Amino acid sequence: MSDTPSTVTVGNESAVLVDCRGLLCPVPIIRLSKAVKAAEVGRLVKLLATDPGSEPDLKAWEKQTGHTLVSSERAGNEFHFVVRRAK
Amino acid sequence: MVEEAPRKVVYVQTYGVEAPDRMATPIYLAAAAAAMDMDVSIYFTVHGPTMLRKGVPGTVRVRKFDGDGALIGHFLDQARDLGVRFLVCQPSLDLNGMTMDDVIEGVEMIGGAAFNDLAVEADQVISF
Repeated sequence: MSDTPSTVTVGNESAVLVDCRGLLCPVPIIRLSKAVKAAEVGRLVKLLATDPGSEPDLKAWEKQTGHTLVSSERAGNEFHFVVRRAK
Repeated sequence: MVEEAPRKVVYVQTYGVEAPDRMATPIYLAAAAAAMDMDVSIYFTVHGPTMLRKGVPGTVRVRKFDGDGALIGHFLDQARDLGVRFLVCQPSLDLNGMTMDDVIEGVEMIGGAAFNDLAVEADQVISF
């Protein structure tokens, strides 16, 4: 991953963008975890994925890590998740 | 706020290079658990240590239904980068004609007592 991550606007906030489209489990959850750890507390991270297992995985990740799953949307074959680093 | 101690999970991998379709799954799961901020170890026993033999991670590929997948070393590195501990069992090294000199860097040797201590202190032990 590059030192200067891509960002995207979510609502009126900037979010770190993690594009895992085309990548299979466990890569999306690993890249999400790394991005959240690298972000400041309170920062948003947006994850794009196509792995159909990512929907239940994000719920489990939220439950176990205590970070917040702000939104979860499906657009065709893509899943768009927004999480907020909680601590 | 009091930080909760991370959940502890121990994966037990009994398969090695003789079963290329069974090598990677515990490594994936361990990596995912570490990405969920858990405290994760993999205990390589029976044939498991054979995937940790020097030269193997960079040459042996996991098997997928349509042929060869990525190198096992890719998945081992991915897990280790996330903080997963790799443990081997001494008698299992013997079983495979190996010593610690044959094992890649970053692997700890433990014995049966240490494994059982780890197991009873863990929240879950998952065996493959």
